[in-house]
This record gives sequence, structure tokens and C-alpha cells, in this order.
Amino acid sequence: MNATVIDDGVGPAPAVGQAVPRTTDHRFEFSGDAREYFRIWIVNLALGIVTLGIYSAWAKVRTQRYFYANTRVAGAPFDYQAQPLAILKGRLIALVLFGGYALAGQFDVRVQLALALLIALLAPWLVVRGAAFRARYSAWRGINFRFVPDYKQAYIRYLALYLFVPFTLGLLYPFVKAKQKAFLVEQHRYGGVPFRFTATPGDFYPSYLAAFACGFIWSMLLSFVMVGAIGRHVSVDGTPPPMLVYGFPLLMYAGYFVIFAFLNASISNLVYNAVRLDNHRLHSTLRGSKLLWIYASNTLAILASIGMLIPWAMIRLARYRAECLTLLQAGDLDAFVATAQTDVDATGAEMDSVFDIDIGL
Amino acid sequence: MNARRALYFDGRSSRAHAVEAAIDGGELALHGDGVARREPLSALRITARLGRTPRTIAFADGAQLVLDDADDLDAAFASADRVQSWVDRIERRWRSVALAPAISVATGVLLLQFGVPWGAERIARRMPATVEAGLGRSVLDQLDRWAFEPSTLPQARRDALAQRFADLLEPGEDASVRIAFRHAPKIGANAFALPGGTIVFTDQLVALVGDEREFLAVAAHELGHERHRHTLRQALQGSAVAVLAALFAGDVSSAGSVVVAVPTFLLDGHYSRAFESEADEAAFATLVAHGISPRWFATIMRKLEAEASDTTELPYLSSHPPTAGRIARAERLADGFEAALPAQHAAVH
Repeated sequence: MNATVIDDGVGPAPAVGQAVPRTTDHRFEFSGDAREYFRIWIVNLALGIVTLGIYSAWAKVRTQRYFYANTRVAGAPFDYQAQPLAILKGRLIALVLFGGYALAGQFDVRVQLALALLIALLAPWLVVRGAAFRARYSAWRGINFRFVPDYKQAYIRYLALYLFVPFTLGLLYPFVKAKQKAFLVEQHRYGGVPFRFTATPGDFYPSYLAAFACGFIWSMLLSFVMVGAIGRHVSVDGTPPPMLVYGFPLLMYAGYFVIFAFLNASISNLVYNAVRLDNHRLHSTLRGSKLLWIYASNTLAILASIGMLIPWAMIRLARYRAECLTLLQAGDLDAFVATAQTDVDATGAEMDSVFDIDIGL
Repeated sequence: MNARRALYFDGRSSRAHAVEAAIDGGELALHGDGVARREPLSALRITARLGRTPRTIAFADGAQLVLDDADDLDAAFASADRVQSWVDRIERRWRSVALAPAISVATGVLLLQFGVPWGAERIARRMPATVEAGLGRSVLDQLDRWAFEPSTLPQARRDALAQRFADLLEPGEDASVRIAFRHAPKIGANAFALPGGTIVFTDQLVALVGDEREFLAVAAHELGHERHRHTLRQALQGSAVAVLAALFAGDVSSAGSVVVAVPTFLLDGHYSRAFESEADEAAFATLVAHGISPRWFATIMRKLEAEASDTTELPYLSSHPPTAGRIARAERLADGFEAALPAQHAAVH
């Protein structure tokens, strides 16, 4: 080390992170910048179109890396390590299948139904493969996450349980959701240590029941108003005025939008607050009203800017979600150790994004 | 590279080491917080530059060094990802960023306006006849199950129309093109050009027809669809758009499916209007070649239009270009045609 000039202790504050104090709360920080991300986003879009979609695999990696690397907790950023070529391969397989599905729909509904059924049967497998891929290529402090596949439980929680939902008038639905969240959390590992999930299905019921009730009341209320309005305003030829025809569904969706934002906030809080890793835990303080404001203003901004504000909207949402999350450290954050990792194929992860299967934690 | 602060992870534990890093004589030297390590740069990999995000230098044994981005890093590491270095330079230049929306829109329009139809046409032309016929049978099978009933027209009427239709065909074409009649109360007056050469007329359409030449005008239009393989091409184009939409939906935004659903729907209408115009032109040429005035096309279109406004059921005209324009075009051609042969067609009016 003879020629290297190193002076310990003097100089600017640590650029990337600080020494981590013991037993403390660490807020998640998001440092993404809308103007900077706009450049990345628009170049991704242009190159994606010009290369007929081939570049979209690179675009995905750059987008993911941007959001991961700008999210820090306890002084260290997250790291997204997936390789574009692996994603491209998975994406091509998924697109060929999706193309076949779309083409079948043009000629033979039966073939398309059969394919849709096949996709539904594959869904639990895709959930596992997608989670495994994302975990394998996500890292923090030089240690990768891992998702331990359990296909039997995946098929129970993402397929078999759904079959009973209709017979319970939907009352089983929050139970199914709780079982799915628990599965996703508990199959994850960090440095060989399994995550634990402390929420019970009963904890999910108040939020879902409130959302069901609000949705029901809103639908009933609108129906009454609608019937009354039609009675008074039907024109001579018996058709209701267009304001009613378009206004009614719009109000309906606006109501569901509001309910969705509040439900999303309360379920996210419930799930994050129930996560344990050793004695460390997460604390989430999302507010439904704030989330609703962000969703609504993002939607309007995107529409008014013909999409140009999408990057701004994404950054804003990521910042709020990070701001509301805290890591409550109890014990040592330095003691997690790496375990052996094998490569994970991207096909499952790409299938769920192409077929728009919503997994989400 | 001057010495700078960085976080070092040994890849075995999650402990963060705050170190000083410096590049010295083709080697990376780390020092501090219990770490002293030197590695030749050629044994290290560095993540591509991305905005102001931190860079990660990966050691062969799984250790990592995370440090703030600096543009001198790329010069030190020759092994950087070429594609992403180039993209990074584009992202940093405001001029190319300003061009990107225009390039996206222009390429997107070219791709959808010309690329997708061109590709669909080539694939349709290369599609084996047996596959096409199979697709046609499958569609007819489903329509027979859900929408069609056997025709109630007298056999003699069907035979007569089929005979007149056969006159429109090119030599040898009768092997590939067949016509069929179906009673279709749920659909109303309509005609379908299925893949593989089957043209279906509904009894309701035949009932609208006064002069047989009106039937031939519709038949010539459907024959135009068959000759240009429009149904197959429409299906291929629709699928291509769906695939492109699925590919970009997730990248454009997280609420992508809604954002792309509406343009996809509009695009479908746009493609089908282009095919209708092409089939119209083919029909006019066929009619004129067989000594039939395009005016018969105008008269049957008027009847179909009147029929469609009477009923809320699936109208023949729904996906078609504005009917008034098509009728005007037919009549303009008819004027020219009849001026050349005035006596024969005086009876039309």
C-alpha cells in the first residue's frame, strides 16, 4: 500500500453511508429525483420502441436499479442485480405464449378458454418463480435475499382456497389474502434467516369488511340516486340523458378508487408491521388519505401531460412509501451471513408481468 | 482516482465497513475499518452508470464496494457494459432527451401504421391453406353454435344466388371460395368473409336485397376481403398490438393496462377501416369488370344503413368507415361507369 494516499478520520463525511449505531430506528430514505428519472424513462421508452421491444429488458433493469439504488435503510442502498439477457429470454418466452393466447382468442374461444385455464393453473407456480427471481437478484449490504419455493403451499393459497370463496359469499376472501401475504413473507430469507409474519387472518378482517361495507353502501346509494334521476329525466324516446349514462359509472369507479386507496394503506401497514427478521421489525405509517391524494393527483397529472409526468408520479409514490417505512433495529444488523445461491430463470417473473397477474407484497 | 470514502461488504456477512478506496497503479486499494485489500482492476466488475446512483464494484470472491458515482470510474474500468455506457451518455445529454419523445411517437406511429400491417400481410400470405381453412371452420363452427341457425331460404333461391356469385370468380378461384347462407335473427343483415374462403350471408341480408345485383355488390365486397385475406390479417394485427401493449404496459406505467387498452381499441377500428376501404375498391373493380354498376353497392348500403338505425343489434356498419363517404364514392364511380354505358343502367333509378 506504499503509494496510496489514505488519511483516516480527516476529510468529508462518509459519502455512501455511516457507521451504524446499535439498537435504533432507521427510516427508509428515497433519493430518486423526478427530473433525473425522466431522462432514464424517456430514453428507455424511445430505445424500447426503436428496437421493437428488445431493449425493454435493459430498460427494466435500469428502472429497477434506479429505484432500488435510491432506496436506503441503515445507511446502505438496495441493489438490483438481474441481468438484461436473462430478462429478455424470459420475456420472449412469455410473449410467445401471450401472442398464442391473443391469436387463439381471434379464432376460437374454446382454445382461448383452455389457455386461460392453463394460465390460471400455472398462476401459483408463477407466483413462486417470480418471487424467487426477484429475491435472488435483490441485495442489501452485499447479501442477497432468497425465496424458498414451496409449490404445495402456493397451490393451496393461490388456487385451492379461492375455490371456497364463492360458497362463503366472499367472506373467506380476507382469510385467503392473509394466507397469501404470510406465505410471501415467510418464504423469504435474508442471509439465511427466515422472515416471520406475526399477523393472523383475523387481523385482516376489519379492513376488508369496512371496504366491503363501504363499497356496498356506495353502490346502493348510487343506484337509488340513479333510479330517481332516470325517473325524472328520461327523454321522449325513452333513453336516459348521456350525463347519466357516463356519469354513473364514473361516480361508481371514483368511489371504488377511494375505497381502494384506504384499503391499500391499511393492508400495507398491517403486512409491513407484521414482518420480523430475527428481532428486527418494520414499522409502516401509510395514510389512506395521503395515498388517495397521490393516486388521484398522479392519475390527473399523467392524463393532462399525455404520459410525460409518469416518471414524476412514480418517483412521488416511491418517495411517500419509503418515507412511511422504518426499520426498527433490535440487536445486530451486521450478523447476517451469506448462503449459497443458484441462478433463477426469469420466465416466471416475466410471465406474471406480461399476463398482468398481480402479486405484490 | 483520489482516495474516497466507500462502503465495503465482504460478501459473507452483512457488516458494513467504512473504508477509504483508491486506484493505484492498476489496482484498487481498500483500507480502514479492519479492511486492507488490494485487487487488480482487471479482476473487478463495476455496475453501469445510472444517474447519480451509487456504483457497486464486485470482487471475484463476492465482496462488494459501494461508492458514490464519479465519472472517472468508467475510465479506470475498461470492462464496463458497452450498451449501458452508451445509453448513459444519451441520458445525460439534454438534446437526445428532448428528441426521445419525438422519436418514440414517430417510430410508434410508423410501426403501427406500416410495420404491423406489413408483417401481418407477409405472415398471412405464407400461412398454409390447410391452417387457414381450419381456422375458418373453427369460426363457422362457433358462429353456428351461438349465433346462426340453418338458412330458411328456399333451396332454389340459394342456388340461384350461388350461381350468380360464381360468375364473379376468377378462373380456378371456385376451388377456394365457397358461399353459405344462415338464418341469423340475433345478428341481422350481415355478411362474413371467414379465413380459408367461406363467405357467409345471413338470410336477413338476402331479404333486404331487391335486385340480385345488390347481392352481387355485397358479395364482391366480401370477395375483396377473401382475396386480401383480411380476416386473417386483422386477427394477426390485433394479436400483434396486444403483444406490443403487453410488452410496453408494464414499462410505461404501473397502471399500464388501462393506459394502453383505449388506444388498442381505437387501433383495431383504424385497421378494420383500412380493410373495408380496400374491400370496397376491390368490389367496385369486380363489379365494373362484370358490367355491373357500382350504384348497386350504394343502394344496398343505404338499405343496410336504414336497417342498422332501426335495430340495436350488431350492425353491419359498426366497424366500417363512414357510410356516407363509401356511398358517395360508389356513386361517383357509378356516374363514370354509366356515362360510358348509359342505356343498360337507366333502370336503376
